[in-house]
Amino acid sequence: MTRTFDILSKVGDEGAFRQEIRDWLAVSMPKNWRSEWQGLENETLKPKMIDWLEERRKVGLATPHWPKEWGGPGLPFGYQIIVYEELTRADAPELHMYMVSLFQTPATLFEHGSPAQKEKYLSGITHGTDIWCQGFSEPGAGSDLAALRTSARREGDHYVVNGQKIWSSGAINAQFCLLLARTEQNVKRKHEGISYFIMDMKAPGVEVRPIRSITGEQEFCEIFMDDVKIPAENLIGAEGDGWNIAQSTLSAERGLLIFGGTERLARSFERDRVDGKDSWMRDPQLRREYAAFHAELQVIRLLIRKLLKELEANPDKASSTLPTFIKLTWGPFLQRYTEFLVRAEGLQAHKWKAPIPATAHTSRIKFIDFLKSYAWTIAGGSNEIMRNIIAERYLGLPR
Amino acid sequence: MSDTIDLDFLDESFAEMLSSEWPRERSVAHAQSGNLIAADLWSQMAGLGWTALNVPEEFGGLGLGIEATSRLHAALGAVSAPVPMLGTTMAAALIAHAGSDRQRKAWLPALADGSMRFGFAQPSGAQLTIENSSVSGIAADILDAPSATHFVLNGRREGKRSWIVLAADSPGLSVEVHPLNDTSRTLGSVNFSQVTLAEDAIISAPDCQRVVDLLEHWSCIALASDSLGIGEAVLNLTIEYLNVREQFGKVIGSFQALKHRVADHKTALVGAREFLAHVASLDPGDPAGLIEALSSKAHITRVAAEVARDCIQLHGGVGFTAEFQPHVFLKRAKLNEALYLTRNEALDRVADLLEAA
Ligand SMILES: Cc1cc2nc3c(=O)[nH]c(=O)nc-3n(C[C@H](O)[C@H](O)[C@H](O)COP(=O)(O)OP(=O)(O)OC[C@H]3O[C@@H](n4cnc5c(N)ncnc54)[C@H](O)[C@@H]3O)c2cc1C
Repeated sequence: MTRTFDILSKVGDEGAFRQEIRDWLAVSMPKNWRSEWQGLENETLKPKMIDWLEERRKVGLATPHWPKEWGGPGLPFGYQIIVYEELTRADAPELHMYMVSLFQTPATLFEHGSPAQKEKYLSGITHGTDIWCQGFSEPGAGSDLAALRTSARREGDHYVVNGQKIWSSGAINAQFCLLLARTEQNVKRKHEGISYFIMDMKAPGVEVRPIRSITGEQEFCEIFMDDVKIPAENLIGAEGDGWNIAQSTLSAERGLLIFGGTERLARSFERDRVDGKDSWMRDPQLRREYAAFHAELQVIRLLIRKLLKELEANPDKASSTLPTFIKLTWGPFLQRYTEFLVRAEGLQAHKWKAPIPATAHTSRIKFIDFLKSYAWTIAGGSNEIMRNIIAERYLGLPR
Repeated sequence: MSDTIDLDFLDESFAEMLSSEWPRERSVAHAQSGNLIAADLWSQMAGLGWTALNVPEEFGGLGLGIEATSRLHAALGAVSAPVPMLGTTMAAALIAHAGSDRQRKAWLPALADGSMRFGFAQPSGAQLTIENSSVSGIAADILDAPSATHFVLNGRREGKRSWIVLAADSPGLSVEVHPLNDTSRTLGSVNFSQVTLAEDAIISAPDCQRVVDLLEHWSCIALASDSLGIGEAVLNLTIEYLNVREQFGKVIGSFQALKHRVADHKTALVGAREFLAHVASLDPGDPAGLIEALSSKAHITRVAAEVARDCIQLHGGVGFTAEFQPHVFLKRAKLNEALYLTRNEALDRVADLLEAA
């Protein structure tokens, strides 16, 4: 017995909207997913992710934060918040294989993609099951991303790409890659001469090798490119404008992406004290340490809400500094809190358990959650790089 | 009026007056002067109505709420102003909320015009026993007691919580001064030797715990605001210094080891400011807000104390001199951390409230 759900038609009545999501989740969310998905990844996990995406798509919530122009539901801010609150409340799995597809790709294409690119690739996400990855970092170009050496040489109606990418999350599962490559070798500043491409991961010459991460999972991959042909129509924006465009991609990470994470953590924070009530919450010092995190959690949630409100009010004129402060607040906070839980749990936290995917940093396997916190302190601009930006660009200290 | 006030405009007018009347030189000079308070600054503030901020309009006040008061305390912290504002804020909150009509009429106008200055006991602190309308004993460690014309102290009569409001020159009452490291505030213990209380000297309320919570809320916001002001001000003056002091042939602000600390401080303060703005917008009478107020006190006073601590280090030798201002901020920030509720006390309360939720 299933009934059909019409969540989007409830916009205008917050209570009804919320209730419809709850009713839908009660029926449609994968059952016992935390235990059933534990230890799965890549090929074994992919079908589960696709099914869950499909369920969400049926009610228009595959991409709750997308505006209408991207093919999303165009929900007002308040309703986006409700969607995330309810997904979190129900402990719905995160669409983590689709992170780049849902955040970085639209952030990039919407601003810089051609109409044809938007049409083809955004609908591949809203209507299809396309998984994207991001190919920016290289062995010699991490924080110093502009030092990248992968080359793209124009030959007639296509480019020929050679080089190597590294740390590309989920590349093993991906159909497409957001690729930065150098189209001009002789430049005055290394930020010039970089171009931005959409690369088909099935194209001849592309080879992907998974790298095992500190959690034991195959979080990221190396991508080797040997004379890979990319059609010229897959160039995003103008040739040589890749560096600017990449900033749009990266800004996606520093804003919206964190929102879901903070809401999940807020729920998990509540469960943590219930779990600990007969053990570490009885230790006065650990209990205080725990209580102190309440303020920090409020700080990050308020900062994110402020950013989202600014973005809603004025997508172009949002504060340029806030995302950086948010990233440098969130990463270190997440790391200290997850580390605290490892300490609070004592020896129990050290017993190995298989990771649970799609839980962000709230798998509740404390050691794994702690290890994963480095994703936010290293990737997408490390803490140190955020500090450089704040000191030099915002506070005016000299280089 | 309270609904329509432009808080940013208030900020500007506070900052404008304070930066001209209480510049760095005066702040540093005051620290070595031995003066209890900046009496001239206090009368200017009173003249501008700052002491009347949260006093209801019918009693000569401006009738503004906790948000405006929060802005004032932040502005005072930002110049480390040696004025007993906390007692005024707290006494106005208590008397307006729980005082009888006669008590309001008797005290609020004089509080609003700055002629009454209050030493106000920590709301959840020790209580003096009232027996046969008389009190003996000690109210220890009362902020601003040495400069106060009046006190609000915690009392207990027939097992019931109350507040004692008394003039500092009441017979049998004496104040023992405890000099502080923070010379922008004062501390003293109030000794009672068979002090007789008129009936009007006692405030009681049907629901005392609600009043205690309300006062706790106000005090947390006031102290957190003061600390935010301190943190932002001391960081700003430190960044100024990093931009001019040269070593190894370049300004020290170009050293990454220093830049990164400053960036962390800035980030912490950006978050603290957002948190405070949110908490100050909550109704102090709504018990649900107390956990946020206590959290903000513990968090923001800690952030500011840490920023101020590092700012002396970032200055090098001059930071260790009495002539430079960072020490004034450090001492005030450290006192705010300990005042009313220590960090551990506040966090224990937060944990209790979290567990009760
Ligand atoms: C979990 C995870 C997922 C990732 N996913 C992707 C992905 O999908 N696609 C992709 O392209 N990349 C991805 N990355 C790569 C990530 O963006 C880089 O790791 C990051 O930019 C840092 O580069 P690096 O690893 O080369 O470290 P390095 O740049 O070598 O940094 C090493 C250390 O030096 C510090 N450092 C470097 N420069 C400075 C400086 N100027 N001042 C002070 N300190 C400095 C760094 O902060 C760091 O502590 C991922 C990384 C992680 C951890």
